[in-house]
Amino acid sequence: MAKYKIVHYINNFFAGAGGEEAAGMKPELHEGAMGPGLALKAAFGDDYEIVATVVCGDNYFGEKTDAAKAELLEMIKKYDPQLFIAGPAFNAGRYGVACGTMCKAVEAELGIPVLTGMYEENPGVDMFKKDLIIVKTKNSAAGMKDAVPHIKTIGEKMVKGEEILGPSIEGYIERGIRVNYFHEKRGSERGVDLLVKKCRGEAVETEYPMPKFDRVPPNPPVADMSKVKVAMITSGGIVPQGNPDHIESSSATKYGVYSIEGMDRMDKKDFMTIHGGYDRAFVTENPNLVVPLDVMRDLEREGVIGELANYFITTTGTGTSTGNAKGFGEDFVKKLKEDGVGAVVLTST
Amino acid sequence: MDNVMVTNNCRCFEKWKDIFQMEFEEGWTYLDVLTKARDYIHQGYHLLTHPLAGSVKPNQTPFKSIILSKDTLEDAEEFRDLVLIEDSIAAYHKFIKGKPLPDWPEKSREDFRTVDLSLMEGVVSNPIMNRR
Amino acid sequence: MKLELGKIYIHDVQFADKTYVENGTLFVCKEEIEKLVLEDDRLISARVELARPGESVRIAPVKDVIEPRVKVDGPGAIFPGVINKVKQVGEGRTHALVGSTVITCGRIVGFQEGVIDMSGPTAKYTPFSETYNVCVVIEPKEGLETHDYEAAGRMAGLKVATYVGEAGRNVEPDEIVTYETKPLLEQIAQYPDLPKIGYVHMLQSQGLLHDTFYYGVDAKKFIPTLMYPTEIMDGAIVSGNCVAPCDKVTTYHHLNNPVIEDLYKRHGKDLNFIGVILTNENVFLADKERCSDMVAKLAQFIGLDGLLITEEGYGNPDTDLMMNCKKVTQAGTKVVIITDEFPGRDGKSQSLADAVPEADTMVSCGQGNIIVHFPAMDHVIGTLDFVETMIGGYEGCIKADGSFDAELQIIIASTIANGFNKLAARTY
Repeated sequence: MAKYKIVHYINNFFAGAGGEEAAGMKPELHEGAMGPGLALKAAFGDDYEIVATVVCGDNYFGEKTDAAKAELLEMIKKYDPQLFIAGPAFNAGRYGVACGTMCKAVEAELGIPVLTGMYEENPGVDMFKKDLIIVKTKNSAAGMKDAVPHIKTIGEKMVKGEEILGPSIEGYIERGIRVNYFHEKRGSERGVDLLVKKCRGEAVETEYPMPKFDRVPPNPPVADMSKVKVAMITSGGIVPQGNPDHIESSSATKYGVYSIEGMDRMDKKDFMTIHGGYDRAFVTENPNLVVPLDVMRDLEREGVIGELANYFITTTGTGTSTGNAKGFGEDFVKKLKEDGVGAVVLTST
Repeated sequence: MDNVMVTNNCRCFEKWKDIFQMEFEEGWTYLDVLTKARDYIHQGYHLLTHPLAGSVKPNQTPFKSIILSKDTLEDAEEFRDLVLIEDSIAAYHKFIKGKPLPDWPEKSREDFRTVDLSLMEGVVSNPIMNRR
Repeated sequence: MKLELGKIYIHDVQFADKTYVENGTLFVCKEEIEKLVLEDDRLISARVELARPGESVRIAPVKDVIEPRVKVDGPGAIFPGVINKVKQVGEGRTHALVGSTVITCGRIVGFQEGVIDMSGPTAKYTPFSETYNVCVVIEPKEGLETHDYEAAGRMAGLKVATYVGEAGRNVEPDEIVTYETKPLLEQIAQYPDLPKIGYVHMLQSQGLLHDTFYYGVDAKKFIPTLMYPTEIMDGAIVSGNCVAPCDKVTTYHHLNNPVIEDLYKRHGKDLNFIGVILTNENVFLADKERCSDMVAKLAQFIGLDGLLITEEGYGNPDTDLMMNCKKVTQAGTKVVIITDEFPGRDGKSQSLADAVPEADTMVSCGQGNIIVHFPAMDHVIGTLDFVETMIGGYEGCIKADGSFDAELQIIIASTIANGFNKLAARTY
């Protein structure tokens, strides 16, 4: 019997090429299994073969995503595999996004099953869990041993077209897909059970969880805009040319505060966008599309707003964890308050 | 009351064009009607009718009518209307993504107009609509 | 109020010269039923066909399903205010031909009716694949206005069910179940240590083909009110709607409301079933605010500790559901919601069109967007001409042999949101 062929994707670090210093490496192809692939090879046994390992630097993938994707796809395609495995990425954010991106691309282009693994707080989880099966791992490579059996079981089922059961049984991250089944009791009986328990003060488990309500209650409207100092804040990745603070193009861990004092508009000579989540061509040409300094100055002149703060605050929204985003806000709101800012315009992309 | 009906249903338009201010365009999609209603909300109008009235899902019926007013009839929570319309737009995209609106024959289109009209008739007959 | 429900179990249905029940077989007279239906000059034809469990039969487009019942003792009669005179019901004795139904089919408007398969892979989704069904296929006269046709179809079903129900009048029931709810103060005093539980029954009331009637009153025109649970068993509520076939609460389901039944099962054991609050699902947002205020007021007024809420339909009613849940919870009453879900074809989107944090205990009756395959059947009662335009169907979904693919929501009562079925959904 011919063996089922697997192609495995890993990053610079797991390929042994090095950490941050090697993150710019271009896609590379290695015959057979390497690094974490060796553990997979052992687990999958004789019926399967890791025919190739494709490697790419996390930064290269993040910055030249389309090119990297195309090159990697070319490499993978010629092996005609039956399964594609990426990672696991554990808690490495950029790696997680790369694994997710490659899985989606391979699934779409080659039409074969794909599988990856991540720690549940990896930003790649939120981006890809609805589209992919992501095996739940620990937050570091030490969790490889626990992840391997799940990758093997799910991978085999995928290749053979067998039914993949629920997330808690198979060990993958809940995807948020609602699937029908027949319960042993009818709905009304379960409802009465739950109500009796709830009235007794016992813990009850809902069958359909509500979406998360992390809405911020809106402040009362500004009474008189003509007397208020307004600041601009964006998650659209506009930074001074050269990106002096090295804000990441995705999965940002920091924000920047940059002066617009004396400027009438955002000049493309002074500003650029480093955002990795949209087509940057128009904004590169005209950064006012994201930080609308031009029209804000008009409003200032017309007296619609009292005054414009002489700086804007910026970060990259794509892939940025809500925890980080919350932290940025809590941090810079102090400055805004100290500076007497009474309202902000938030722009996203 | 300063009411406006946003609709792409010619039968609603014909029936109430002398009573309400009308925002009518035969060529509008269901989404166009929702979007137009959203624009009115942003301009300070209030929803009088539920944007998904009818329970006929947005990838089933081409027709939609929504009545808004400058006045509000109830003590609703802040931003309720905006949340409702945005959730409705999200629901529209959810259904359309899975299955686009079929190209219905005229007979079916007329049925959908009838149901939409009927929903609005129920609304307009509500005594509260006679408040001036 | 005390009602004895005499259950006459039906194990077969056959045509005969007259309509009667003998040894668990329901015999029906085709000619008399057709004559009865054609008394209404809005209808020009009525054809009666029988459908039994396991047969290779598909029924479509189904408008309503009704269990035949007859009131044998006590005030009033079945379907008060609609078929019989307005009179308080819910007391005395009623006989039901359990296991049989009357099904009306025929085109009303082209999309809101559903499908019932008596066998095959889709039969398990509808309770009516397990019942002996007397199907009445109706046809309107040319050019009949839609509202009139809807009314004619609704009345035809109720008339036939009442006529068939008469056959059970003098039959000794196989089982008698007694349901009793006392006046409020006495009921509270009967089980003072048990939690006082109620049921908020939301009736579909949006407009044409979206109406429900309580003693003949259009639900969109009433304000929330209290009902003795036994009233519903005598046909105080009838369905005049098809929201989507899957979550339609048929008149059968009103007569056999599962929440009421299951609350009675626990009545006096671990809960004290106080009564039902009826409310509606209007299109008008001001109505929603008013009615949900009143639901919360009534719940508090009668001192409920907890209640269940069920809805009928998707979208607009979700807002009523959430308003009711929120206000009742804030008034100090614990809530459990029973609902079905529409998360889109891929199952990945929000299932309901509205949400509040108070809705923290929900029962799922399954999701209606998955695609199921309907193999060809030997016989079709009604017509498959409209499958493509029915809710859940789509252009090109039907093949020449009569097999088709469609979303689960095309099947009558498949995800009915009152917990009648065992179908549920979970997150993968």
